[in-house]
Amino acid sequence: MNKELEHKFVTELEDNQNIVHKVCSLYTSNRDAHNDLFQEITIQLWRAYPKFRGESKFSTWMYRVALNTAITLYRKSKRRIKTQDYDSVIFKIKSDDYDPTQEQQLQLMYKAVRQLGDIDKALVFLYLEDKDYKEISETLGISEVNARVKMNRIKTKLRTILNP
Amino acid sequence: MMDELELLKQDWQKKDGAHPKLTYDEIYKMIKKKSSSIVKWIFYISIMEFVFWAVLNLLSYSKESLELEKTWHIYEITTFLTIINYLVLIYFIYKFYNNYKRISYTESSRNLMKTILKVKRTVTQYVWFNIAIFVAYLMVSLYGNLNYGINSEKIMEAASRAGNETLFWIMLLGMIVLCIGIVLALIWLFYKLLYGILLNRLRKNYSELRRLEV
Repeated sequence: MNKELEHKFVTELEDNQNIVHKVCSLYTSNRDAHNDLFQEITIQLWRAYPKFRGESKFSTWMYRVALNTAITLYRKSKRRIKTQDYDSVIFKIKSDDYDPTQEQQLQLMYKAVRQLGDIDKALVFLYLEDKDYKEISETLGISEVNARVKMNRIKTKLRTILNP
Repeated sequence: MMDELELLKQDWQKKDGAHPKLTYDEIYKMIKKKSSSIVKWIFYISIMEFVFWAVLNLLSYSKESLELEKTWHIYEITTFLTIINYLVLIYFIYKFYNNYKRISYTESSRNLMKTILKVKRTVTQYVWFNIAIFVAYLMVSLYGNLNYGINSEKIMEAASRAGNETLFWIMLLGMIVLCIGIVLALIWLFYKLLYGILLNRLRKNYSELRRLEV
């Protein structure tokens, strides 16, 4: 029974692991911390899994647990080795229509997003994932109106970071 | 002007596949590992506190101390304190258990943070209760010792020899209060540091979410 549950969980997580990786890439700045957070999220997901009744999609449920872990439960690792700026690895993958100016602008945007606070980052993340304000508000526990207001403020904040 | 965030969104979705991919076995190994979350640390700390105060309680209890309490005429009041102590202890054990059961990782972030901060509050209450009962014991024994202890006559003598008896007592009392105060300040500082480090970020995030309510 337990083995069966384990197998089901690991398979589902394997298929949806991108979500967790994306959260990790926003909330950590090096490979070690990324792996640390990934592991913690996996543990929390597994712990909460028996209570997952399939009322929502597995992926939706994952967003919540992953963000909760990143914002609330995860203690940032003390060892901050500044060997390689992590985002340069993950975000520098060139796409087909490579445009140096646009790429540079995007890099600056990613950098700006990383400077935001934990909660703001969560909002931006859900926004980038194309979640509607209803889901954003439910995940964070605020009203839809507040999620909108907050998002507008973040846009202004990002603009100030980009054009000081 | 095109919305920069819209641009970012397009890019973000394009790069969906650019992340590392873990294998089934790698993930399987992860679920066997131990968590290092804040909740776990709070839980460990509260258990440690529980054990610490319980041990202190047991150590101070012996046949001799019972006899001493009787000769000091404080037996009734310490028994009363002990009963209260254990009743409240049972209440806290129940509360601790309830709190941990309530922490759910699938709650909305705000509710989750609220629950964790509530857990922390229970721990703080537990600590303060222990300190209070500790001080109460101390005061009662001090009273017993001064009035009926073997050294009480010597102290009284010293008091009358000092010339000004009231001043002597005021000074003695002041010294005791000072000592207790220093101990309390140290304990307070210790917890402030311990939980401050652990919960600082959480508290900040929670208040940010709460500010949105208004």
